[in-house]
Amino acid sequence: MTLIEAVTDGLRTEMRNDDRVCVFGEDVGKRGGVFLATAGLQEEFGPERCFDTPLSECGIVGTAIGMAVYGLRPVAEIQFLDFIYPAFDQIVSEAAKFRYRSGGEYTCPLVIRAPYGGGIRGGHYHSQSSEAYFCHTPGLKVVIPSTPADTKGLLIASIRDEDPVMFLEPKRIYRSVKGEVPEGEHYVPLGKGRIVREGTDVTVVAYGAMVGVCEKAADAAREKGRSVEIIDPRTLVPLDEQLILDSVRKTGRCVVVYEAPKTCGFGAEIAAIVAEKACEYLEGPVVRVAGFDTPFPYTLENLYMPDVRRVLAGIERTFVW
Amino acid sequence: MALKEFRLPDIGEGIAEGEIVSWKVKPGQKVAEEDELVEVMTDKATVTITSPFDGTVKELKYKEGDIVPVESVIATFEVGADAGGAPAAPAPAGEAKPAPARAPAVEAGTPAPEASGEGAGEGDADGSDANGAAVRAAPAARKTVEVPRPSSVPGAGHAVAEPGKVLAAPATRRRAREMGIDLHAVEGTGPRGRVTNEDLERHTAAAPQGVAAPAREPVAAPARPAATPAKAPPRPPVSIPAGEREERRPFRGLRRKIAEAMTRSKHTAAHFTYVEDIDVTELVKLRKEAKALYADEGVNVTYLPFIMKAVVAAMRRYPELNSSLDEANNEWVIKHHYNFGIATDTENGLVVPVVKDVDRKSIVELAREVQELAEATRAGKVSVDQLQGGTFTITNAGNIGGLFATPVINFPEVAILGVHKIKQTPVVRDGQIVIGDVMYLSISIDHRLVDGAVGARWMNVVKDCLENPKKLLLGTL
Repeated sequence: MTLIEAVTDGLRTEMRNDDRVCVFGEDVGKRGGVFLATAGLQEEFGPERCFDTPLSECGIVGTAIGMAVYGLRPVAEIQFLDFIYPAFDQIVSEAAKFRYRSGGEYTCPLVIRAPYGGGIRGGHYHSQSSEAYFCHTPGLKVVIPSTPADTKGLLIASIRDEDPVMFLEPKRIYRSVKGEVPEGEHYVPLGKGRIVREGTDVTVVAYGAMVGVCEKAADAAREKGRSVEIIDPRTLVPLDEQLILDSVRKTGRCVVVYEAPKTCGFGAEIAAIVAEKACEYLEGPVVRVAGFDTPFPYTLENLYMPDVRRVLAGIERTFVW
Repeated sequence: MALKEFRLPDIGEGIAEGEIVSWKVKPGQKVAEEDELVEVMTDKATVTITSPFDGTVKELKYKEGDIVPVESVIATFEVGADAGGAPAAPAPAGEAKPAPARAPAVEAGTPAPEASGEGAGEGDADGSDANGAAVRAAPAARKTVEVPRPSSVPGAGHAVAEPGKVLAAPATRRRAREMGIDLHAVEGTGPRGRVTNEDLERHTAAAPQGVAAPAREPVAAPARPAATPAKAPPRPPVSIPAGEREERRPFRGLRRKIAEAMTRSKHTAAHFTYVEDIDVTELVKLRKEAKALYADEGVNVTYLPFIMKAVVAAMRRYPELNSSLDEANNEWVIKHHYNFGIATDTENGLVVPVVKDVDRKSIVELAREVQELAEATRAGKVSVDQLQGGTFTITNAGNIGGLFATPVINFPEVAILGVHKIKQTPVVRDGQIVIGDVMYLSISIDHRLVDGAVGARWMNVVKDCLENPKKLLLGTL
């Protein structure tokens, strides 16, 4: 099953399981979404539970907040994460704050799904990685899967979560990554990272589409005698700090890979946590391999995105500095 | 001039450490690219490594006999004027004349391959990594210039860091703290005089040995049982010195590899052993003839090649024993090629060279190959390639003794055959007791994959071939 099929499978499973779950967004209903993430859901569950909305991100999220507070389990799709800004105020000021403002009386159990990231030649309005904006707002959870099985399991966990979850889907690997996905109920808890592969010399932390890049880099590094451990945190908020710290304490070296601009990217937060809590285990600098501090370039996309060569160079810098 | 480090490469697949068997060069010696540098014994094979540089050997960091982790710097070189490491004429021995300021500038301006790879690769928009590369390159160049010429002590990088300030990675600081070492007292050999983990180790090794330090080296004198405690009044010491009560041998290299492999096998495979006696009277006759026929050619025809052929015949009938389990993919890999490992006893321990494609070689060819492989293995000259690719293993204790054994499977193979001593034994033939030549064979099998009945039937084929060796010659083999 591809990653995008796992999204559909996760939605369908949870819609069958819980009739409070409804799915909507631009082109989500009849067409099944521009990436076909919701294909077939309107046919199965009807236009009351899977429907199209006007072209208004602010309206989509505002509606979702109302539904959530009144007891439904809305899953709103924003067609591209790049289009989310009209809804930003609704997300960070309303959805994220409901629990706090009501003294815990109300929660806001909604999921906002959005494809994000580059690598599909989409230009700057269809390629950005702005996960850090949402990680910076207390009250939101931020989930980024990297495998089909995790996609389904984390999506179901997100829908069942009592708080608003930003579910960001790495569109570059929507169809390029396939994997076994458990049928029916499959639940991957939020806040538990996974060790993609074990290694002894250096820890590489990556999420989303960067996990695959790092796996290839680890293969190449192995040929040079470097044993690379790859950690995929799976959810940025809440973050499985312990898994990352345990790994760095074991290997003594850390590289963080993310495709967002380098400055203030979420990888910078991971680097800071490592520096703060595993300082005395470090054999070398914590290195970030990231995008550049520029708008996402259409023609230079391949140079902008971290690739195997750059990850390898980053790994090497933790040894030779 | 530039100082180049030579790191012990991973020779073979995923080897962690190697022992320096012998250096082929001396400090100060000029070498050309591809010249032999050093002979290194890894866990299983001995390999001669050649120089990647044209230049002059500056320092050999390890002694012969040292065990060195892969990727450690084992030697340093001074390499010709082109700092980028492009092939250049060997440096004149005088060297070290370029002005101090120039060398770093050259390196920063025309980034060396590794420096540019890093600067560009790191993906820094503001170019700070390019600076990083320059900074990194500079000390190396500076070191060449500042190092006191004659003795060329590594890390004479004093006067580089600020006085009173020690540079060290956080982990190195922790280690020093735990070891009770004052970093100020340690000579740093890293960039800008940074104290490295190796410097700490060197420092500890150089420190006066306390009484508490246990003797690490194996004791040269043979251990003897302790002399009986003297009860009588002191007597003049007898000329025979009391031996050590025990000795400590290093547990590493091949011994540790064997330990790991055996433990993994025993913990993973569900071992059972099946034993059969084989009346090899006919085979003994045939082999005697064969031995005489090929003695002139220097081939020692032993029983082993006949047994290997019998095993191939059995494998063709029951290929389940020539297989392995690919647990990662939940697949059972049945092999239709016949590469048999021959367990070989060496001075250092058990080594298993592999005879490839046993089915496609004649008995005499097999005899010759087994003989050559065993000699190469005992001499430590077997290549990594000759140790890989086995599908099944045969272990032979017949020349030592014993009745039968329960061999440990050479994991991830699924079975191993033990071959035992041929003894003259009374056997019943046509209702009469006669003297026959009898040998036990024991096969240990991984019960996860192969059940007892299959193993027993497999053994019957082997038995049939060895008791009627003409079948080996006349059959499809």
